[in-house]
Amino acid sequence: MTPLARRTACLLAALATALAASHAAAEDLGVLEERAMKAALARVAPSVVRIETVGGLERLGKVLVGTGPTTGLVVSADGYIVSSAFNFAQQPDSILVTLDDGERRAARLVATDNSRMLVLLKVDVETELPVPQFVPADEMRVGQWALAVGRTFEAERPNVSVGIVSALGRIWGKAIQTDAKVSPNNYGGPLVDISGRVLGVLVPMSPQGTEEVAGVEWYDSGIGFAIPLETVLRVLPKMKQGQNLHPGLLGIALRSKDLYSEPPVIAAARPTAPAYKAGFRKGDKIVEIAGQAVAQQSQLKHALGPLYAGEKVRIVALRGDERIDREVELTDAIDPYVVPFLGILPMRHLPEGGGVEVRYVYPESPAAEAGIEPGDRLLAFAGEKVEKLEDVIEPMQSLAPGESVAIELRRGDQTLPIKAELSTLPETLPGELPPAYPPDADVAVDERPEVGVIDVKVPEFTGKCLAYVPENYSPAVPHGVVVWLHAPGGVQQDELLALWKPLCEQYDFILLAPVAEDAKRWQPTEARLIRRLLDEVTKNYSVDPARVVAHGHEGGGSMAYVFGLTNRDVVGAIAAVEAPLPRVSRLPETDPLERLAFYTTLATKTEQTAAIEAGIERLRELKHPVVVKQTGEQGRYLTGDELQELVRWFDTLDRI
Amino acid sequence: MRTRLRSLLVCAAIACAAVGTLRPAEVRASESLAGVIDANQPRMVKIYGAGGPRGLEPYQSGFLFSDTGHILTVWSYVLDTDHVTATLSDGRRFEAKLLGADPRLELAVLKIEAEELPHFDLATAVPADRGTRVLAFSNLFGVAAGEEPASVQHGIVAVKTRLDARRGVFESPYRGEVYVLDAMTNNPGAAGGALTNQHGELLGMLGKELRSAQNNIWLNYALPIDELRNSVEQIMQGKFRPSEEPPDILPEEAIDLAQTGLVLVPDVLERTPPYVDLVRDGTPAARAGVQPDDLIVFVGENLVHSCQGFRDELAHLERGTSFRIVLMRGQELVDVEIVFDGEEAQP
Repeated sequence: MTPLARRTACLLAALATALAASHAAAEDLGVLEERAMKAALARVAPSVVRIETVGGLERLGKVLVGTGPTTGLVVSADGYIVSSAFNFAQQPDSILVTLDDGERRAARLVATDNSRMLVLLKVDVETELPVPQFVPADEMRVGQWALAVGRTFEAERPNVSVGIVSALGRIWGKAIQTDAKVSPNNYGGPLVDISGRVLGVLVPMSPQGTEEVAGVEWYDSGIGFAIPLETVLRVLPKMKQGQNLHPGLLGIALRSKDLYSEPPVIAAARPTAPAYKAGFRKGDKIVEIAGQAVAQQSQLKHALGPLYAGEKVRIVALRGDERIDREVELTDAIDPYVVPFLGILPMRHLPEGGGVEVRYVYPESPAAEAGIEPGDRLLAFAGEKVEKLEDVIEPMQSLAPGESVAIELRRGDQTLPIKAELSTLPETLPGELPPAYPPDADVAVDERPEVGVIDVKVPEFTGKCLAYVPENYSPAVPHGVVVWLHAPGGVQQDELLALWKPLCEQYDFILLAPVAEDAKRWQPTEARLIRRLLDEVTKNYSVDPARVVAHGHEGGGSMAYVFGLTNRDVVGAIAAVEAPLPRVSRLPETDPLERLAFYTTLATKTEQTAAIEAGIERLRELKHPVVVKQTGEQGRYLTGDELQELVRWFDTLDRI
Repeated sequence: MRTRLRSLLVCAAIACAAVGTLRPAEVRASESLAGVIDANQPRMVKIYGAGGPRGLEPYQSGFLFSDTGHILTVWSYVLDTDHVTATLSDGRRFEAKLLGADPRLELAVLKIEAEELPHFDLATAVPADRGTRVLAFSNLFGVAAGEEPASVQHGIVAVKTRLDARRGVFESPYRGEVYVLDAMTNNPGAAGGALTNQHGELLGMLGKELRSAQNNIWLNYALPIDELRNSVEQIMQGKFRPSEEPPDILPEEAIDLAQTGLVLVPDVLERTPPYVDLVRDGTPAARAGVQPDDLIVFVGENLVHSCQGFRDELAHLERGTSFRIVLMRGQELVDVEIVFDGEEAQP
């Protein structure tokens, strides 16, 4: 080798070494990060405890509740530990905590946070427990490292998964979102940053569900949630005192279903709720909450989401030009809305000179007590002029039974001011009723759509559907719709028509009788198709939504519940014969805007009796009005007279 | 000096050409990861065989561990056929011969007739601990075919634990240590894949799909090479003997609840908590100071959830052996030992 060659070789070797060194330096980032993660884990580990439970339920809904260990996080040196409410949903008899040093302690459940789905536990300790440091909200950044820590596989060592902070302020402003793997293996444990400070406590959560198990189906899917520890520490003093926390409720209904486009205009303010008590009313437009301007309903939901019951919030609303600025104390539960009742049926035509004419006065109702008579005209209601029926219905939505309302009546030439104290809806069936139109009412029109047995077709619906529009139909007369859902076996067209034709003609109803794809049973998914059929009828005929009824027998009765409860915006009543209320996880509450009345038969000695009775009880607990028709010992469909009586009841669904 | 500098620059230019364009320091990390992945891809094998019942996939993953075509993979229904093929990363396809399998570790060694193959070295495999960053190489969901490279996933070791750390949680014949991973590695077709650290050093083999009986959560894990090495060597030498000892042996004569002197509350619920109803005089339980209304929470290190759970624990204890139980008395945990004298241990 020549000296030059040797020198070049040496240089090349040196360069190779330098390159190798720079290669090592390049790897350093990965190595350093790994080292930092291990250090972060070591730092938080002493505050992460293992929790085991004894006893309790096996299953919650469809979710198998594990008996495996879960995780908790020390939040106070004197033995307070926070964990996910999911871990306690099965209501265990005993709770055992294993501390980082292997020491086992019995724990008791001190309080539950129903807004963040957390629980606070307490163990007795002689020495102080290590409390982790938390990351202040203003230091959290989307994209920063996030380590999810549990202590489930091994008591001696925590388990960890790594990801980043994916989003902040999720689930209506309550949670940090991460792509670190979050599952029952670490629910209750901390989400920590790269230096081992705690960002939050891991919980399953879902933007819609509110149960302890909501959001579990998202385990290990790249979307996990944690409640900021800063929030937990803020409410810790209250929880230490055994106070359960709840989401803060305002008690208003908003008008539109589109959260992201409509302004938050109060569509109904429950008289029993904080907003009403603070002075907010129907029609007020909320423009500011807690100092933040709001223009959309979703912004209101975001601002309210993090707040707890008992907290006060400043709300500004506009009523015309008036600015209403009030402090509202949020509440944890609002008494169910009870539909108020005056006790009259309105005539369905508009009399000359305005007002609403009284068709019928319920005996012993507030209207009867106040001296209202058939033929009277309501000219003013609750201080507002009445020109059409809505002018009575809308103010009623913000009134409660027991409240007194001022009414101005026209009787002949007289104008009578009266006061009526509102009561609750009757749960009885009416006798004979006077007609809803005066005998001389002119309802004839030149053109009208097809009547008799008509074809109703929607693209996806391949099955049969019998529909009947009475021969005397006129578009000037809004009709009700009876959606008839057959019992197993399908529809006997001729029999059904013979039964319903006279009733439809007499009481102004259209009959819509779809046949289930499998005539032996209805599938809940068919509710969507029934809705399409109903929409098709509503599009072509004049329909009064208050008198749209879902009516069915046996399996069809269950389907009537399913269809009615999921289509409250277009259904006014559910009438089920020999069918119990299906098991639905959450029954809808009464709602001023979507009133729903119930009719059910009850036979005393059938397999269904107990289930039907239980359903009636559930509905009444929620203050839904339920008419119960006794049909003897054995289950059967209605007799001709009973059916007539039922349709008379349908005819009263526009009662006030 | 000047000459040296110039030749240094020339050399540097040559070196740059050799390694590609040099980038700023902060991006080199991923470049080195790419290098690690490139180096390992030729060692991966796609294995095709028999499909399983109910539409189970007829493929899995494996990797070469000798230059003469030895492949390590999992023992499964896929190999339960006379025609197993192995596709290398260059697209070459070989008939694979089953050299042997260890049903307890659920591993199998295949052999293909080829030489000078790139391969992992089991002897230099390294251990990992919690927090170690890992790369998982596999043909999950059979997404790669022919010369397409294996899929690479990244994650960390979530924890190192034993599959039998808790009784009855994971139904697997393998009971030893595993690396639990925080990446979704254990999907159909991934079993038999390779797990390496971020330097590309072999750590383990991806296991079969496994679900916790306790919380229904799928487990992502790999078996450390340390646990597999002996079996593999024995199979290679043709000396492998299936392990004599069945994985979970129940004693022929176990402790009977009555012998302890404990009477539990009536077992009426699906998960009746194991409360002590009464303690018979002069029995091991009475001598240990167990009291009515105590709640039994642990037998040894195992948490018991129910009366049935307690009986199950006793069924694992040989008649006459003493054992510790932890009781919950009010809010206090009490640790006692149940000791039999000679007579009580008799049936």
